[in-house]
This record gives sequence, structure tokens and C-alpha cells, in this order.
Amino acid sequence: MSQTMPTAKQRRLRSLLFWAVPALLLLLPFATNPYTQFIANGMLISALVTLGFTLVIGNLGQLAFANTAFFGIGAYGSAILAAKLGLPWLLTIPLAGALGALGGFLASAAALRGIRSYYLAIITLAFGELMRWGYLHAKPLTGGTDGMPMPPETLFGTSFSSDTLKFYVFLAVTVLLVKATLNLMRSRFGRAVMAVRENEVATASLAIPTSRVILVTFMWSGFVVGCAGALFSRHVGYVFPESFGMLHLIASFAMVLVGGLGSVLGAVLGAVLLTALPEYLRAFPGMEELFFGLIVAAVLVLMPMGLASLLRRLSPIFVERFYREAP
Amino acid sequence: MDTPEPLLKIRDLHVGYGKKPILRGATYDVLPGECLTLLGANGSGKSTSLNAVCGFVTPTSGSVLFDGIETAGLPPHKIFGHGIAQVSQARDLFPDLTVEDNLRLGAMRRGGKALAQNLTRIYHRFPRLAERRKQATRTLSGGEQQMVAIGRALMSGPRLLLLDEPSGGLSPQFCEEIARIIDALKEEGVTMLMVEQNLNLAFRAADRFIVLRDGVVVDGGDVRAMAGDHDAIVRNIYL
Repeated sequence: MSQTMPTAKQRRLRSLLFWAVPALLLLLPFATNPYTQFIANGMLISALVTLGFTLVIGNLGQLAFANTAFFGIGAYGSAILAAKLGLPWLLTIPLAGALGALGGFLASAAALRGIRSYYLAIITLAFGELMRWGYLHAKPLTGGTDGMPMPPETLFGTSFSSDTLKFYVFLAVTVLLVKATLNLMRSRFGRAVMAVRENEVATASLAIPTSRVILVTFMWSGFVVGCAGALFSRHVGYVFPESFGMLHLIASFAMVLVGGLGSVLGAVLGAVLLTALPEYLRAFPGMEELFFGLIVAAVLVLMPMGLASLLRRLSPIFVERFYREAP
Repeated sequence: MDTPEPLLKIRDLHVGYGKKPILRGATYDVLPGECLTLLGANGSGKSTSLNAVCGFVTPTSGSVLFDGIETAGLPPHKIFGHGIAQVSQARDLFPDLTVEDNLRLGAMRRGGKALAQNLTRIYHRFPRLAERRKQATRTLSGGEQQMVAIGRALMSGPRLLLLDEPSGGLSPQFCEEIARIIDALKEEGVTMLMVEQNLNLAFRAADRFIVLRDGVVVDGGDVRAMAGDHDAIVRNIYL
């Protein structure tokens, strides 16, 4: 790693900072209007979607684009479990994660058969489109083109139509999954993930079961994004097949790159910026896309390693273990 | 004196890349605790022989018996699990990982205590690596990188160490260092199978040699018995 690794003191400061940010965010509902609160909720969902994506394409180095498929599986899974089986929505979150992990298992099949690079990209894109075809045509289960409404629900007497209540649930889930992913990537497993990306043959020769590393990474990515799907179903209150198409995939890909490929911190930063940006650009009707494109291009030209690189330059506390800057 | 039971028995080994045969019935043994060097011209099958032993290539026929276990056709990670580690010609390091992370990757299957003990042992053997433990491996010199590659292979506590041209790209001074490392490993009882183009190093470090030509063993013997008569071997290799 080209960066200086943080000292023990800096690591303690980082840990403090990690918990201080969500603690401060607990106050956010008192300082925002409902619209801003809605956007903030969307940022948390995007952060998880981007995190799952960057694990596979950044950390593991596999050009796989099944991320939106995991998202759709999680969203529809949560909606079906809540609307058809009457399960409490909160309970559907880990179950949607499990369904997303199953999606990850299926998506990893191609990678485990040795398919790599552009071929893996096309196969996983096809997987995403196949899932979307499924949402459209399994009308009795998914509502087809009409979409699927989430049943109303309350928690401690407060309706889940409240964006504030949703925010607290979303924040708890996001913090939990980001922390779990950070710990996973700092562990021996994280070292193996990086080794697979750097040199798969050499990794296999060190008795590291590369297939298992690939499989678990895809499944964890699917779990994280599946949970995000469950949050999304409650966030918008209605799931449509159109929400899980190529546009969503491209937006998530942009978030990964703008944040910094393979960086957990970058995933969160990229998601926050690119979720907030279109909202602020609404002040320039007719020019939103142009400004959006220009800003994304500017970030990538000025900071090819993404927003996270800016923070890494500021202090080693933002250096992630086993993170490697792309050439 | 009785000859000990070989640790590795290669019998009638055939390996090819596509339709091109490389090894055409190679047969030889590696005895426990010795360093056997494979000599031969380019394309004679030396590195292919090592790659077949560690599972990087699958033999088309023949047998690779390691301590009585047939390993021919097993995947590399299973063969590694049996106690065979290779230091490849390209070294296959992870350049952006630190020295210590590279070393730890060599013992991913070992628990905390065994891993810590092995790490201490490697740092004791290679003090220079201890000094550079937090440094990215790509910032090391070629010789130091070779130390990391050998150290990483030793982290798993292998019973057979395969060394593919350990002197490749290194200065003459470091070749002597490699010879000293091999001497020390022999004292520890590590068995080694080495491919080496540098005949000075090969004869300085190895106990026995075999010569491969067109994928078969054509000559071999005790290095000490050949002292001072390397010309005959060179003729056998290249002429």
C-alpha cells in the first residue's frame, strides 16, 4: 500500500469517529424538513448498494454487474414476504438479505467456472435483466408492471410512513452492515480477497481456497445489497420492475467510481454525493443532466482514485487495510 | 548405508502443453532432507517438472507420489495442504501488500499461535524482512523480494520446498546468500527440489543433481562426486 498505515492512536481516533458520525446523525431529523429527510434516507440505501457493488468489482476485482439484480431480489423479497406472508417488515430485512445472498451465490456460479472480465460482465448483466423479466412476468407474485405496494405497518405506535422512523431503522441497518463489512475486509478473509484480485493462481498455490473466497464475497455482497432492497421497498412504499434496470446499475457504478473503487469509505461518500447532487441540480431545470455529468467527470479527472483518496491524503486514519489504489 | 525411502517419487511422468509434450516419461526420486537440483537446457522440462509436482499443470500420465500419497492431478491448494510449497520463478508476490501480509498469506490455514511462531522464525532467519515488515513488497530490492517469496513458502512449514531458479535476476552476491539460505534450510531438515541455471549455485547448494533432456532424465549423481568436473555435465546439458 502506498499510503502510510494509521498508528494505534490514529486507529482509536478512527474508531471514535466511526461511532461519532452516526451518533450525530441521530439528530438529523430535528434539523431537516421531510423532503431532505427523504433524500437522506435514500442516501443510506445507496450507500449499502454501492458498498455491495464495490466489494465485488473493487475488492475482489471481478467485473460482475449483478448488483441491481441483488437489489431487486431484496426489494421484491421484502415486499412479497410482508404483503403476501404478512411478516413484519423489520423481519423481512435479514430475510431479504438472505435472498440477496442466494442471488450472489447464483451470480458467482459463472465466476467459479473460470469466466472472467467482459464475459463475466455480460453474463451478470444478463442475470440482472433476467430477474427484471421475472418481476414483469410473475404477475401473481410481483404485480407485474403494476408493481407491488408495501402494506402499512407501525412500530411502537408510529407508522412506517414516517420518514423519521424509517431514517432511524435505515441508519441502524447501514451502520451495522458497514461496520461488519469493514471488519470482514480487515480480517484474514479480507487479505485473501485482495490476494485473489492481485494474483489468483498464486493465491490458489498458497492453499487459499479461491473459489470459496469468490463465493463468500459474492454472497456477502448479495446480502448487503439485498438488505438495501428491503429498505428501498419501505422507502418508496411500492416496488416496480423499472427501479431495477440498467439506469440504476449505471448510477451505482458511478457511485463506486466517484467514491473510490474498492473502498468502503468511498462507497459511502460516492453514494452520498451522487444521491444528493440530482436533488440540488433541480434548481437548474433542463440542465440537470449536463451539470451532473460535468461534476462526475470533474471528480474523476481531478481525483481518479475517488473522493476517498482526498481523505486519505488528509490523514492516515482514512487508510483502509488491504485497500489498493487502482493503477 | 541404506538409502532412505524417497519423500517424492516421480515415475514415468508425461506432461504437455496442448499437443506439445514437454516431459516424456521422467523418473526420479527426491530423498528426505536433501537438495536435488534439476539441470537442463531451456525447454528440457525442468520448470514443467516443478509445476507438475505442485499441481500448476496436470500430468497426462505417470505418477507423483509424495510420502506415499498420489498427488498427480490434485489442485494446487490440496497439494500445498500436503506440505509442498513452491517459490516460483516469477516469485508471485502481492506487490501492494506489506512484507508481513505477504508472509501471513503463506500460512492462511494456520491458527494464531502457529502463525505467530512461524512469523518469528522467518524474521529470525531473514532479519532484513523484520526491518521492512510494514513496507509494501514492491518497494523491496530483487533479493529482498526473493527472501519474502522463500519466507512465505516457509510459513506453511512445508516438507518439500520447490525452488524455481532462485537466483533469477539476482546479483552474484545475493546468489551466495541464496546458497547460505539453502544450507540453513537443509540443516533444519527441509527437503528441496530446485531448478537452477546458475551452475555455480546449483553445485554449491545441492546434494544431488539430475540432467533432463527432451523431457527425460539422461544423467544424475552426487554433486560431491562431480567436484571439479562440471565440464562433463555442461556437455551433457547443452551438447
